[in-house]
Amino acid sequence: MIEVEDLVYEYPNARALKGVSLKVPDRTITALVGPNGAGKTTLLRCLAALEDPYSGRVVVDGRDTRESPREIHARMGYLPDFYGLYNELTVRRCLAYAARSHGIASALTATAVQKAAGRVGLIDRLESKAGELSRGLRQRLAIGQAIVHEPQVLLLDEPAAGLDPQARRDLAQLLIAMRDSGMMLVVSSHILAELEDYCSEMIIIEDGRIAGGKAIKVRDDARPRYMIELATARSDLRDFLAAKGADVAEADQNHAVILFTHNAGARARLLRDLVGAGFEVASFAESSKALEDAYFSAVGRAG
Amino acid sequence: MNPEFERNVWLEMTPQRVLLMVAVLVLIFFAAALTNDYWTPSIAASWLFYLIVVVWGSRSAAMSVAGEMRDRTWDGQRLSALGAGTMTWGKLFGSTIYNWFGGAICLALILVNVAIHVGPATAAIELIYYLGIGVIAQAAALLASLIAVGRGQSHTRFEIFVYQMAGIVAAAGVWWLWSTADPVAAILSHKPAVDFIAWWGFRLGAPVFLLVSLALFAGWTLVGCYREMRLELKMRNGPLVWLGFLVFAGIYFAGFDAWLSSDVTGWDAVSLRLLLAGSVFAGLTYVMVLLEPKDRVHYRWMEGQFRQGHVLNALSGLQAWMMSYAGAFAMAVALSLWLSRDPVSAQTARPLVLAGMGFLTRDVALFVLMQTLPGRRRGDYAALAILFALYVLLPAIAVALDGRSLLFLFFPQLPSPQWSGAIAAWAQGIAVAGWAIARLALTERDRKPVPA
Repeated sequence: MIEVEDLVYEYPNARALKGVSLKVPDRTITALVGPNGAGKTTLLRCLAALEDPYSGRVVVDGRDTRESPREIHARMGYLPDFYGLYNELTVRRCLAYAARSHGIASALTATAVQKAAGRVGLIDRLESKAGELSRGLRQRLAIGQAIVHEPQVLLLDEPAAGLDPQARRDLAQLLIAMRDSGMMLVVSSHILAELEDYCSEMIIIEDGRIAGGKAIKVRDDARPRYMIELATARSDLRDFLAAKGADVAEADQNHAVILFTHNAGARARLLRDLVGAGFEVASFAESSKALEDAYFSAVGRAG
Repeated sequence: MNPEFERNVWLEMTPQRVLLMVAVLVLIFFAAALTNDYWTPSIAASWLFYLIVVVWGSRSAAMSVAGEMRDRTWDGQRLSALGAGTMTWGKLFGSTIYNWFGGAICLALILVNVAIHVGPATAAIELIYYLGIGVIAQAAALLASLIAVGRGQSHTRFEIFVYQMAGIVAAAGVWWLWSTADPVAAILSHKPAVDFIAWWGFRLGAPVFLLVSLALFAGWTLVGCYREMRLELKMRNGPLVWLGFLVFAGIYFAGFDAWLSSDVTGWDAVSLRLLLAGSVFAGLTYVMVLLEPKDRVHYRWMEGQFRQGHVLNALSGLQAWMMSYAGAFAMAVALSLWLSRDPVSAQTARPLVLAGMGFLTRDVALFVLMQTLPGRRRGDYAALAILFALYVLLPAIAVALDGRSLLFLFFPQLPSPQWSGAIAAWAQGIAVAGWAIARLALTERDRKPVPA
């Protein structure tokens, strides 16, 4: 669990974070989104105990970043937006160094290296030099270095920047696998489409503050988001859906976005009830842009 | 093995590089042996040691962190679980392992030669000297680069050259001091070596005194690297270690009063020792106020801690220049009180001491003030330029215009009336300090958070 309380961060000439409070639960992938210059990277660096708050506090896994930065570092993986690799070292040695410098004993290092290389798909590249890898493979190696010690928390700043579509898909699958293995991930990006496939929560940073004041749940496998569109406008759409047990995220006379059970039978009954009540349903489908919908919905509210 | 050291060994000690170093050194020694009369292998080894360990090694040490910053690998290291001590020695001796490998070959030749021609005891002394000068040079370069990292400076080739020069200059100082007492140098140059050094009234053997001093200063340089590394790894440094260094430096340099007694007539040993300790503290104040980041956010944080009654927290944030200034101030007060025992000194020397303290106050405040003004990234350079004008240009103009009587405005002088110099210095000090504090308060007021 990450807890941030009234975090203020100052650069000499600007206040970058202006009282941010949030909680990031375990076993989630949280998107940290917002326009360029909003304070995402600064917040991420504060979460990583790389920057001291001017006031307020950041607690990671029960430890205050001001009091115990190195204990937090030992339990954390971090991929900065502009990262470097030791180009003259082989992939195996890059991973071995990352493992040893995170406290993994010499005897266990080879196993940790194999496991991390396997997770990021670099088993067949262990003897290649880092400087000889393509952009996508370098990204994998950087993530491999960040997870080789199996951290409880993984922070990634713009991890998909510059990756081709296949590499992005691979990255999404990797992040989901890491979440399923018990990690908590926070991913910063200003490109919502990148985050759509794997994020379950979203924190929107605008001008150093959290828009809407708290994290937004954007994906719940038990209650996904569905988009309903009507061919003919009806003013009672919101009330009808609420009466049927749907959580209405947003609605107007022509469409609605709801959180509803994943159960097929229940969805079929809701659709039948809508049609039975005279709603001309043009489409009823799981939203493929849940994050984007939630983002603009929240930014709209904040504005 | 230390992972950071091991990583450096992987990078530096490749078989090709090891063979290359051995081959080049063997060829040079062979060539030196052929020239025989002018350039013996042991002389060549001595110069090569300085070149490989001091000059090149300083660059390797300077690059150990600056290179990580440049290659964007530093954040990853900062997020490792390595402690500051492990990281420091892994960087210091790992990045220079190739230099030490070459240096060890040279050193073996030097020591064998000294052991055969002078004796094993002298060879042992030479071993300590060569190891000491290498460690001091590399640690000083690493320290300079870590300080620069803390100041948020970039790492251009020129800046890395400056860090390297810090190591070379430190080594040059050690070499110069040691050459006065080195038994081997005395034999080679046919000049007598200094046998004794007067310190705190004792006559101490020069070689032993210098070697112990070398070891102590090498130790403090390593402590400095360790503390700067702690800051880089986001750990906090309390004030105690720097206070310990101030006490050490004050006691060490105050012991050289006998060296001044012929230049400063009428002053007793206590006055001279207080003067030496105070001068060292003042010098350290100038060095540290120039080197340390003068972070407005940190000063506001300290002020907030004081205001909330968290005095220990606030004191834990004291910077080295603040403690050095306090030490200089304490020495100035003590010296002033001591001098007041003698009516003549009270009228002549005391105003000079107080004027010196006033100018120190002004200069320190000037460095802080320059950081609060627009264009603060060049604040230190601006402060240095202003000080150059105040201490060199304006006095020169005053003298040229026959205004010698105005010099008391620029540095400690004894004008008539005698106290006007101290008053003028303190008036400048208080004015600049007040301006700096007002600027800090003003920027804080301007930046109150807007209600959400």
